[in-house]
Amino acid sequence: MIDTLTDLLAAGVALAVPVLVAASGELVGERSGVLTMSVEGMMLTGAFASVVGATTTGSALVGVACGAAAGLLAGLLQALLSVVLRADQIVTGIAANALALAGTTFGARLLLERGTVVPGFDRVAVPWLSDLPVLGPALFQQTGLAYVLLAVVVGLGFLTSRRTTWGIALSAVGEDAASADRAGVPVRRVRFLAVLVVGVLSGLAGTQLALAEVHTFTDNMTAGAGYLAVVAVIAGSWRPVGVAVAALVFGLAQALQFTLPALGVDVPFALLVMLPYVLALLAVAGLVTHSRPPSGLTTPFVRLGRTA
Amino acid sequence: MPPPQPTATPALELRGVTRRFGTHTALDDVDLTVAAGEVHCVLGENGAGKSTLCHLVFGTLPPTRGELLLDGAPYSPASPAEALRLGVGMVHQHFSLVPTLTVQENLLLGRGRRLRPDRAGLAERLGEIEQDLGLRVDPAAVTGSLSVGARQQVEIVRALLDRPRLLLLDEPTGVLGPADVERLLATCRRVAATGTAVVLITHKLAEVMRVGDRATVLRGGRVVGGGRIARTTDDVGTLRDDVGTGALSAADLVPLMIGRDVRMLDPVLAASVDVGATAAAPRPGVPVPGERPPAVLDVRGLVVEDADGARLVDGVDLAVGHGEVVGIAGVEGNGQSELVAALSGARGPSAGQVLLDGDDITRATPGRRTALGLGVVPEDRHHEAVVPALSVTTNLLLGRLGAYRRFGLLDRRALRADARDLAARFDVRAADLDAPLSSLSGGNQQKAVLARELSLDPLRCVVAAQPTRGLDLGAVDDVVTRLRDAATSGVAVLVVSSELSELLATCDRVHVAYRGRLSGPVPTDAPDARDQVAHLMTGAAA
Amino acid sequence: MLAALAGAPPAEAAAALWDGMVGTPYAIGSAVNTAAVLLLVAAGFLLAHRAGLVNVGGEGQICVGAVAATAVGTALPPSVPPALALPLVLLAAAAGGAGWAAIAAWLAVRRGVSEVITTLLLNFVGAAVLVLAVHEEALLRQPVTSSETLPQSAPLVEAAHLPLLGIPGSPATVAPVLALAAAGVVALVLHRTGTGIRLAAVGLSRPAAHRLGLGVDRLRFSALTGAGAAAGVAGGVLVASAPHVLDDGISSGYGFSGLVVGLLARGSCAAAVAVATALGFLVSGGINLQLAAGVPASLTQVAESLLILGIAGTAIWAVRAARPRRAHRPDPTSPRAEATP
Repeated sequence: MIDTLTDLLAAGVALAVPVLVAASGELVGERSGVLTMSVEGMMLTGAFASVVGATTTGSALVGVACGAAAGLLAGLLQALLSVVLRADQIVTGIAANALALAGTTFGARLLLERGTVVPGFDRVAVPWLSDLPVLGPALFQQTGLAYVLLAVVVGLGFLTSRRTTWGIALSAVGEDAASADRAGVPVRRVRFLAVLVVGVLSGLAGTQLALAEVHTFTDNMTAGAGYLAVVAVIAGSWRPVGVAVAALVFGLAQALQFTLPALGVDVPFALLVMLPYVLALLAVAGLVTHSRPPSGLTTPFVRLGRTA
Repeated sequence: MPPPQPTATPALELRGVTRRFGTHTALDDVDLTVAAGEVHCVLGENGAGKSTLCHLVFGTLPPTRGELLLDGAPYSPASPAEALRLGVGMVHQHFSLVPTLTVQENLLLGRGRRLRPDRAGLAERLGEIEQDLGLRVDPAAVTGSLSVGARQQVEIVRALLDRPRLLLLDEPTGVLGPADVERLLATCRRVAATGTAVVLITHKLAEVMRVGDRATVLRGGRVVGGGRIARTTDDVGTLRDDVGTGALSAADLVPLMIGRDVRMLDPVLAASVDVGATAAAPRPGVPVPGERPPAVLDVRGLVVEDADGARLVDGVDLAVGHGEVVGIAGVEGNGQSELVAALSGARGPSAGQVLLDGDDITRATPGRRTALGLGVVPEDRHHEAVVPALSVTTNLLLGRLGAYRRFGLLDRRALRADARDLAARFDVRAADLDAPLSSLSGGNQQKAVLARELSLDPLRCVVAAQPTRGLDLGAVDDVVTRLRDAATSGVAVLVVSSELSELLATCDRVHVAYRGRLSGPVPTDAPDARDQVAHLMTGAAA
Repeated sequence: MLAALAGAPPAEAAAALWDGMVGTPYAIGSAVNTAAVLLLVAAGFLLAHRAGLVNVGGEGQICVGAVAATAVGTALPPSVPPALALPLVLLAAAAGGAGWAAIAAWLAVRRGVSEVITTLLLNFVGAAVLVLAVHEEALLRQPVTSSETLPQSAPLVEAAHLPLLGIPGSPATVAPVLALAAAGVVALVLHRTGTGIRLAAVGLSRPAAHRLGLGVDRLRFSALTGAGAAAGVAGGVLVASAPHVLDDGISSGYGFSGLVVGLLARGSCAAAVAVATALGFLVSGGINLQLAAGVPASLTQVAESLLILGIAGTAIWAVRAARPRRAHRPDPTSPRAEATP
């Protein structure tokens, strides 16, 4: 029983890391007033690019760089659409996801060969701490990349908190872009950068999934994790800790798919696949009325003069 | 203080500035000179181009033609950020503070490139401003929870943080009660005394006469006059002309501003620029005072709460009888909007009762209220009263589409014919009734709303919230006349407005909203009605 | 074209694409069938979109509609006449899709949750429901006789099969007729009835619609469930066409393609018919491209999504050009303020 719990937690945390990383990027984007639905596609692009980079150069680190760069490019495209061209954020986000799915599927046929060994990251056990019962393997036996990404998430959380001028500007832009503009904040620049942050972090989340967990690229390998990240931001009420908790819960729910059958528990696989999404639905249904998104979410900013 | 030397370099100069929106010319070849240390009033009615002027100076819009100079140097700000950097501060009409941030965060916003906010420096500067100008703010307060007056104080303090060379105030008194207006005007004088050029944009003549050194009058986007203003000697508001000095008096400014002589003005119109008579013009059919007609709209102990349980409307009792026009005055944000929302059915009250001719409509749907004869002119025209993107016809008849069904489909011919009739009856001027309502001028849009609401059958009561906001004088006249005519025909009329003078000229009696409660009523034919109402607006009990 | 990237000679690829689109009566027939499915989803999308709701849940609604249709279609006794069986199956499909959308509609109306998020999540759940149904013998899986038994349902009773149009060599069924009828009904409702105008008012301004006494909640709920019903019928059409069985790949992206059609049609049902036809041919051409020239069919999706991105990205110019030229001040009302949870 204890073993089961240990396995479940370890797998859960491992699967929660990509969702958490992507969600913390999405949180920055949404706080600036841009809803980036294309996290899913950015993750997939990041995963694909990291595998291509790692296999061609034989270096996992180059893979990480490629994943981040691909995320940045995807973020650039989305920022261009959402911030500069003021296109519908939901429509373009979903279309970008479809593009990423089809593009990476197509690309995988061209660039990746089945059965190639993908350089990746192995688990690193932190001495002593990883021996703790139950929680030890979950928290202290992750990959090096996971630790680095978690540090990035924490750092980002601090940089965008209301203790810093950036954090104040971010909140102001998302809540009331016109006022922020009149206070001298470069609204579009802040939003543009925020979407780039979403891109980079989503790319890294995909990289983590591909190089540290799955160790290869498969078609549609994110399978909705990016949408879970978007929902985690809503379910976490736009607060970093809440978002982290939501990401962890979704990760655990996903982990059940792998741990329960391994343990011989006879539950239809499809039920386990649907579980995280059902949880996500329940979360948005139950929580949304008690929290409030940034007022300016999805509203593009145009500086227009209202005439007398 | 002595008038500034005309030879000195002006703080702000506009030369031949023109701004067009499509084919509409908002500002037409405007010249303006503002000296350092003076309070310069830009006067004009709604639509005269005042706000466009602000946008040009503060960098939210570029001019189509012409040039701006700041302290003699060419000045063409590409953004508010640049305007701020060059020493232009602005107090916006509807504020530019982020409600969810604290006052301190709002003051820190957009300042400094360092990651760590300079809280100590800010505190020091706040201390200086308090000492020099007597302006005080609470840095820890959440901005959205402050009263309108306090929020404006924050807005002014923020504009002054960087010691601007030029301070622009766009209609700053529109949202304030009488006491706050006094304080604001005094602040303007004190800021000017420090050598800053102050531009006060307003349509209220009384304010100009109180604080202005010089004035420029805009009408239809053009400068139609201006010059030095005659100083007043006392604070009661009576004017003393500096005879023979060429200084402008109120009587000189009114015709410039509205293109008509003050003596020819309807009292309501005069009231809207704050000059002239304020007593209600006698209306035929008004009930004799003291003999209250039976209430058509009867509100008893109405309570509206926000999500946190705070009482926005706190036990309001109100009765409006047949043929009566009752006003609710008050600074905005004292529960008037929520009261109207509860009356119109947009928002459910948590306690109390609303009766319409004896029918309990406390929780009735808006559709049922309409059917029972309650017309509503909502405060937020674009958001609540109309669907701007739909056609004029649709907007006029949207609530009654069920009456135009033929073989299950819509009888568009009958629909158009009825819309044409309504538009003609209420003088809605539209080139094409199938064009989107947004293509109409603000005044015609409001006329369309009135056409829809006043043509209800039956019509027992009309609730009009800020019905003249943002309209030019012609449209104001029309709206007020329609409402008074409705009352004359026996309808109970409730008008909620922050334009005190307009209410005094339109209504039979006026209540005052303060923190969710109503005080009064004050009969408008009382000789000191204005003072009584102004007193109540400060929160003094009746 | 992009095909060259995949290493196929462009001429050969183009020929394969053309062949797959109009080369044979068979190709034309299957393209028209595909177009019918897309048009059904798109018609529903347009209905909901008029009320300001973006139905991203076509995929899930197709899945659940197909499951419901299969449940009825396999349970009917073989003696039932087609005049009864087919309507029953399609009705079940509509009910399934509508019920699935009703979850999102209820959440949107009662709890204020963005329908974009919920319909999207329901896609994943709906797809899982479909997988569950065809993998569990207790549900819809055909009796497992050997280890080779595929995870799919038993075939629908013959009376529930969609009749063919009877064109020699063509698999075209009556589905296109059905879809055209659905699009016609939606067009009529949107443009010629009071309900259509009311839906538009609700979509453009909920506060104003509420103020004017329209049943805002009812209209929004009905619009989204209506969209679900249309997508559900699309699912029903899919199982009622050859090979008349339900498997877990039955809707390979039709939900998304239907959304594309709806978006590209910009509110016009006539445009939806044209776009659905074009896309139907493109999709079946793409399948042939893969079979004949070895170019992955995902290229079609790449083209589709690039198309949307292009159109959405240039929307601001379209809006500018459409603006009336008469004296017009900038309108402070922002285009999209209420789309979020």
